[in-house]
Amino acid sequence: MQAQLDISNLSKNFGGLQALKGIDLSFQKGELVGLIGPNGSGKTTLLNIIGGYYDASGGAVTLEGRKIDGLSPSTLARLGIGRSFQMTKVFKRLTVLENMLVGALADWGLTRKAAEDKARGVLDKLKLTRLADSPASSLSGGQAKLLEFGRVMMLDPKIVLLDEPFGGVHPELKRFMYEKITEWNDAGATIILISHDMGSIFGLCRRVVTLSYGDIIADGDPETVRNDPAVLEAYLGDHHAA
Amino acid sequence: MTLLQKILLALVVLAAVLPMVGVPQYWLYTLTIGLYYAMLASSWSLLVGYIGRISFAQAAMSGLGAYVAVLTGQLLGWPVVPSLIAGVVAAGLFGLMIGWLTLRLHGAYLGLTTIAFAEILRITVTAEHQVTQGSRGLQVRPLIEGAGPVTYYYIFLAAAVVSVLLMLALLHSRIGLFFQAIREDEDGTASLGVNVTLWKSLAFAASTAFAGFAGGLYAHFVQLITPSMMSMQEMGYILAMAVIGGFSNVVYAAFGGVILQVLLEALREMGEWRLAVFGVIAILMLRFAPNGIFGWLETRLKRKDK
Repeated sequence: MQAQLDISNLSKNFGGLQALKGIDLSFQKGELVGLIGPNGSGKTTLLNIIGGYYDASGGAVTLEGRKIDGLSPSTLARLGIGRSFQMTKVFKRLTVLENMLVGALADWGLTRKAAEDKARGVLDKLKLTRLADSPASSLSGGQAKLLEFGRVMMLDPKIVLLDEPFGGVHPELKRFMYEKITEWNDAGATIILISHDMGSIFGLCRRVVTLSYGDIIADGDPETVRNDPAVLEAYLGDHHAA
Repeated sequence: MTLLQKILLALVVLAAVLPMVGVPQYWLYTLTIGLYYAMLASSWSLLVGYIGRISFAQAAMSGLGAYVAVLTGQLLGWPVVPSLIAGVVAAGLFGLMIGWLTLRLHGAYLGLTTIAFAEILRITVTAEHQVTQGSRGLQVRPLIEGAGPVTYYYIFLAAAVVSVLLMLALLHSRIGLFFQAIREDEDGTASLGVNVTLWKSLAFAASTAFAGFAGGLYAHFVQLITPSMMSMQEMGYILAMAVIGGFSNVVYAAFGGVILQVLLEALREMGEWRLAVFGVIAILMLRFAPNGIFGWLETRLKRKDK
């Protein structure tokens, strides 16, 4: 079966630093995959290449058989790759509703009225309706994460790249986000989730990929990865793994 | 409609009746020039206030519009309206080129690059004296044969109002939302499927096209253009007008243009010191009221409402 998203021999160098060392990975439609690894292991670099923010130094990325590396982030978003950022990128001087509308209105086939109805529907699901007309600068860190999450929902993406979506999020909001991620995934979206929050990763994902120093050191179901000595070594050092 | 909007609308209505209440021709002439600056200041704020890109080429773009409008008339025999359109198109295309070439530049680097473009244009116009008459200036036919100051005043008032309304229509459309999203975060905007490269370039083009239109009209009004209309001093006026009016809003910037031009004339006795005073005022505004006089008023009136 052809993978929905295929990464082959992908490498990325920043000067003398090899952030990704020729990795191979494929994702099937509807997977919910956790991407973990210590700081500097190459997780965000990988997301940035898939999302079009970095050019790869070598290798290829294909989406449903089409080569997509080198395409711009906006083209990739229109092809169905949505992403959130580790440091939220909400538009602070725009209202919450306007934030939601930007992505929807990038589709010229959608009228403003239709986009607004859709945005209000998503805000309602995210319990942000009462803040619709407030400037995004007035949101708390957790609410900003939710808004960014909502903006991605507006794109109806096939593939969702979430970079630390739970950072600074209140536990109650976090549980709410779990539900939304699961709903999204049940509706057929492929989700690639980066998080340092192991509880979230192992609770949500059915497959976990571990990166260390730009290499894949483990790839499998959560239980196997959790007990993989290479993973323990990467996180805790070899004396703990032994 | 907010109180400030009502006040500004009343000022536009007042402007429309001024010639009927016996305002001297000298002041009508001053106000006409003020309306020219209103178009320039608001077109500059369209770029700086909404998409967050700085440019010091607005005066040069006005000059480009003016020279193209005049030269297409003189060399190709085009009537006034098509030559004005040619000026708008030329300034728009030049702006598109600057916008595209400076896509990756921000802040001071972008500012310095636009100064370079502006100076290249000004020096070229000065040097090509066989075509442009250099710093001696080009004689220009009037916009309307035999028209008096009142006619010009109304033409400029209509042009400024229509320009600002067109800008507002653009800014209230989805394109205006894209501009503001790009100002807030380019990567975030691109991640939502908005073609940042395209809109950044087109914002430059739209802003310079309005400047080119203002320049073309101005040329046919003053009937003599020189490369000094493209100078950094002129750019300084535009900048001070937009900053003092409030560059985060095209309407506020436009009013800044008229107010400052009237003040420049009223304080003529101060000579060159006027410029130093306006410089200091602009700096103080940026420090204490970064949204300009009208932005400050808007906040004050809103607070009062609460």
